[in-house]
Amino acid sequence: MRVGIEVGGTFTDLVAVDGGRVEVVKVPSTPGAPEIGAFGSLEAAGIAAADVTDLVHGSTVATNAILERKGASIAFLTTRGFRDILFFQRHDRRNIYDLRYAKPAPPVRRKDCFEVSERVDAAGAVIQPLDEAEVRATLIPQLAEGGYQALAICLLSAYIAPAHEERLKALIGAALPELRIACSHEVAQEFREFERASTTVLSAYVQPVIDGYLDRFEATLARAGFQGGFSVMQSNGGRLPAVAMRRNSITALFSGPAAGVVGAIRQAERSQRRNLITFDMGGTSTDVCLVVDGAPAIAPETEVDGLPIRTPVLDIVTVGAGGGSLVWIDDGGMLRVGPRSAGASPGPACYGRGGSQPTVTDAHLIRGTIRADAFLGGTMALDVERAHASFEEVAGRLGVSVREAAAAAIRLAVANIVRAVQLVSTERGRDPRDYALLPFGGAGPLLAAEIAEELGIGEILVPPNPGVISALGLLSADYVRVAGVTRRASLGEEAPGLLREEFARFRSGAEAEFRSLGLDGELAFDLTADMRFVGQAFEIPVEIAPDRLAGLKPSDLADDFAAAHRRIYFHGGEPGRNVEIVGLRFGVRRRLDALPEFRERPAAVPHAGEAEIWTAQGAVKARLIDAASLDPADPVEGPTLVEGYSSTLWVPPAWRARRDEPGNIIMQRINA
Amino acid sequence: MTVNPVDYAIISQSLIAAAREMGAKLVRSAYSTVLREARDGSAALLDPDGSTIAQAELIPMQLGTIGRVFQPCAARYPVETLEEGDFFVINDPYSGGQHLQDVFFFHPIFFEGRVLGFSASVAHHLDISGGDPGLNTAAVDVYAEGLIIPPIKLNMTRDWHGGAFERLLRANVRVPHQTMGDFDAQIAANAIGAARIVELAQRYGADKLTAVMGMLLDYSEARMRAAIRQIPAGVYVGEDAVDDDGLSETPLPVRATVTVEGDAIAIDFDGTAPQVRRNLNAPFAATVSAALSCVKAALTSPDIPFNAGAARPITVTAPKGCLLNPHHPAPVRARMEACFRAWNAVMKALAQAVPDKVIACGFDTTTVGVLSRLGPGGWSVYLEIFGGGSGAAVDVDGCDAVDSPLSNCSNTPVEALDQDFPFFRVIEYAMRADSCGAGAARGGLGFVRRYEILSDGVRLSLYSDRFRRPPEGLFGGRTGETGFCEVLRQGRAITLKSKDAIDLEKGDVVTLAVGGGGGYGDPAARPLEKIRRDLEDGIISAGSASAWSQHKIAAE
Repeated sequence: MRVGIEVGGTFTDLVAVDGGRVEVVKVPSTPGAPEIGAFGSLEAAGIAAADVTDLVHGSTVATNAILERKGASIAFLTTRGFRDILFFQRHDRRNIYDLRYAKPAPPVRRKDCFEVSERVDAAGAVIQPLDEAEVRATLIPQLAEGGYQALAICLLSAYIAPAHEERLKALIGAALPELRIACSHEVAQEFREFERASTTVLSAYVQPVIDGYLDRFEATLARAGFQGGFSVMQSNGGRLPAVAMRRNSITALFSGPAAGVVGAIRQAERSQRRNLITFDMGGTSTDVCLVVDGAPAIAPETEVDGLPIRTPVLDIVTVGAGGGSLVWIDDGGMLRVGPRSAGASPGPACYGRGGSQPTVTDAHLIRGTIRADAFLGGTMALDVERAHASFEEVAGRLGVSVREAAAAAIRLAVANIVRAVQLVSTERGRDPRDYALLPFGGAGPLLAAEIAEELGIGEILVPPNPGVISALGLLSADYVRVAGVTRRASLGEEAPGLLREEFARFRSGAEAEFRSLGLDGELAFDLTADMRFVGQAFEIPVEIAPDRLAGLKPSDLADDFAAAHRRIYFHGGEPGRNVEIVGLRFGVRRRLDALPEFRERPAAVPHAGEAEIWTAQGAVKARLIDAASLDPADPVEGPTLVEGYSSTLWVPPAWRARRDEPGNIIMQRINA
Repeated sequence: MTVNPVDYAIISQSLIAAAREMGAKLVRSAYSTVLREARDGSAALLDPDGSTIAQAELIPMQLGTIGRVFQPCAARYPVETLEEGDFFVINDPYSGGQHLQDVFFFHPIFFEGRVLGFSASVAHHLDISGGDPGLNTAAVDVYAEGLIIPPIKLNMTRDWHGGAFERLLRANVRVPHQTMGDFDAQIAANAIGAARIVELAQRYGADKLTAVMGMLLDYSEARMRAAIRQIPAGVYVGEDAVDDDGLSETPLPVRATVTVEGDAIAIDFDGTAPQVRRNLNAPFAATVSAALSCVKAALTSPDIPFNAGAARPITVTAPKGCLLNPHHPAPVRARMEACFRAWNAVMKALAQAVPDKVIACGFDTTTVGVLSRLGPGGWSVYLEIFGGGSGAAVDVDGCDAVDSPLSNCSNTPVEALDQDFPFFRVIEYAMRADSCGAGAARGGLGFVRRYEILSDGVRLSLYSDRFRRPPEGLFGGRTGETGFCEVLRQGRAITLKSKDAIDLEKGDVVTLAVGGGGGYGDPAARPLEKIRRDLEDGIISAGSASAWSQHKIAAE
């Protein structure tokens, strides 16, 4: 049996598949000790640990350690003269009119930042040798005195010449064997010292937390008789055996959203849909991602709590629009939705837990697209009266009825998500109409049709059990390792040779690593060159299929780059402007075997009769059906509510939905 | 035309998003370090009358008056006579511009045969000709500061892409490879803004879009007026001063009289020093920008879109011939220093009315350092812009080592400088302990950047301020530290003035130090715990900590 367990902020989701059997479970998370909720989900599904052959886990442990500043006690070491780079950051303000601006606080204090005499230039030449005597006489005693758990080392130019970092690690490691040491060249081999240092520091900060968590998790598994493979999800959309995560845990940040995208892609592939815009709408926010030919877009960098992390992640845009997003009127009289949220507690007004401000979920309840007695498979009753009451003030100030105010709030929530979709599509030179929209998360399928209409998208694919797609993504994720290096080269005759050489180096290293992890079988590789016009600072990724490397000409690279530049910036550069390669990114992937089918879990609530839904055209009577009973032979037309265990799909008038053979719901506009 | 509240909210947010995308793409496709790393550029969308509707929030200074510099263009070339492909270019400080390095591009946005508005972008260009690469500190007039572009109308097909105007520009700039690429980035940003507006017009109709533009102006105006009504009516006066004009040692006072009445504010700079013979003069558009930015930052919440509507309740005046409204052709390259003092003077005036909303003086100075060298392949110009420590607020310490409030330039990574400039190396980038002003809340720290010069033939040009006169604290807070620049040559220190230039030799070490911000409130009111923490972190020395805490113990 293969099992994916995703620990989120509010719920822990489990998906298990074994031949034809599919288990889907949602249990409350246990934030103090997330592993308790995780094992609770196994129990709730009636699964014995000994029967699990492959367990994949994703959690917010790493992210929370940073957000709550509960990581290790760490020190930072850098080149003499540059102790303060973590505090300078980029010398800018995120909000230009904020007089009380404070920079994001790094997880290390200034008193714990140290310098060492050495300097290497941009070509990798040693300008000043490493002062080993100083390291022994001064630095090591200081580090011993500080009693740190971990040390982050980031020296200038280590992205091109890591020898000094390696030597420091050996010297300090020999003297202080208990100290965990993270070097910048191990986490990011790319220039820009602040971003690399920040990544290294965050890695050192969360590593001991992740280690402790995985230790406890594995010990509990072992006690329960577990003998299968244990993997952990990464933010790049791939998994790695837990043992490999012990070397570099920074990739475990934001694995949840990535897992969702992977689950969505795998499920859509069954229906031969490979160009997708996915959106995962939960309680507080929505994550949007663009998928081209089955591959999600990758961003070279992300940030957590304002601190940059230079590691490849799925290019996911998050907007503060979820079911719990607050509806309010600002002091200029404009109606707004989010980004503040009622969260899980008190939650929307209709939860009856003390919330009085209106939210998107309350708007759905008023409109009728959420039914009070069918929420979360009927396990949680909602209070319609409170929802109405919460909207009265907003409606009064706008001079409209409560129903109209709720409809307005839903349109604004839709508009917020539409803008996020435009960020990942039109702003990157992609037309959203060329993609299928794939909603998931508890609140996604309710708004999918309206979002599609705004964007001119004609087709929507809704996977089974949309509320647990992240957990599905875990167990369907490939084994993936990615790496990037800064290598500057002009597009001359020698460029293809450089690509071939660097690619071969990565390939042999990756093959060796995967072999040592016991991951045999065929490996797939990919290669991306980050390129720009000479003089620019921001690169555009250009994908190069490895099988093109043998016959690759410099002009091929130049042509591919000009096309990519034109798509984003509306021009391909003036004739004769030189192009350079700045960095290379590699990926290796061991594909997973095909997954068994994923079927809808019955909702177990009564679906007799009709519901009244308020639309722009007035009240309509919508048919009610259980998602599990939607049959391939019997498509439905809107207005219909398709209610499932973890989510509800709203099929408005002029849309048709049908279950396809692989188990997805395909929803299309009628006559569009 | 009436627009329902939902369409209004959606379209206005889309306009703001479009301006933001223009700004992001301007920076991301740029070539010079000043635009691509420091992000010294801005973008905005204007209505057909030239009122700023939405802007990319990059550099406050450039944003306050984009509409003002548009007007001379439209006055000469009426909007209804424009054709597809036409655009305006201008950089003339005496026609609404700020300084020659900031070149503005305006592209009309056509939809169904009519002009729906303009996309606008401005970038600080590394070198725009003039008497010295990047910065001519000796300029006696605006002619010596670079190529002057009056309001002109050009056409993309005829004048750009190898056309006469593009070639004229290319022939006059020292680093054409970067500068012409940066112009292309501005044109790309404008094209993107235009495309987004056309998409909105197709989706919602031109009339509704135009109506929303008007409503967004009214919206910002309403929020600004609501904020002003919270201030007690009265006449408030604030004063600060620029160190000197670079020639003498006489301070140049800047005085603001702020009159608050109902929901309007009038700011007058009578009492400010007369214009000077070097580049410290601020053209009037720059003065207006500085005053508006101060009011906006102090009085309103950050989420109010700053557009022409927000500026309606505020009038700004300055006597002709003063430092803040000079006669043509006074040089203006270093306008930021006088603008910052105008910002400080307005803030000090507001401090009397709304003490909890304002902050103490920060270092609040633009420090521009330029290192240039003529090599066999042409000029290589490095220009970087530095801030300092911010002033403290009633409840928050000033931010350490950050760009000053009218600007928002990023630093250039040392590893990027190592790659791009073989003639110098940064050898230190560090906070200056004790440079913050003491107070119940302390000011932010200043910092140093130290350069080793690796070859002969390198020239340093510099302008800065507060080398002599430190930033003042507020309500008992102490002053922050001043800045300095010094060249160490064969064991001997050469001290530079705040506005200066020098030819360097191989082996010289240049130290450029900027100061900290002023404190807010009596230092005796600062909790011991915070003093202790700053001491542990080396932000203050043992000496200051003990002086500070003894002071506190004495007070108790």
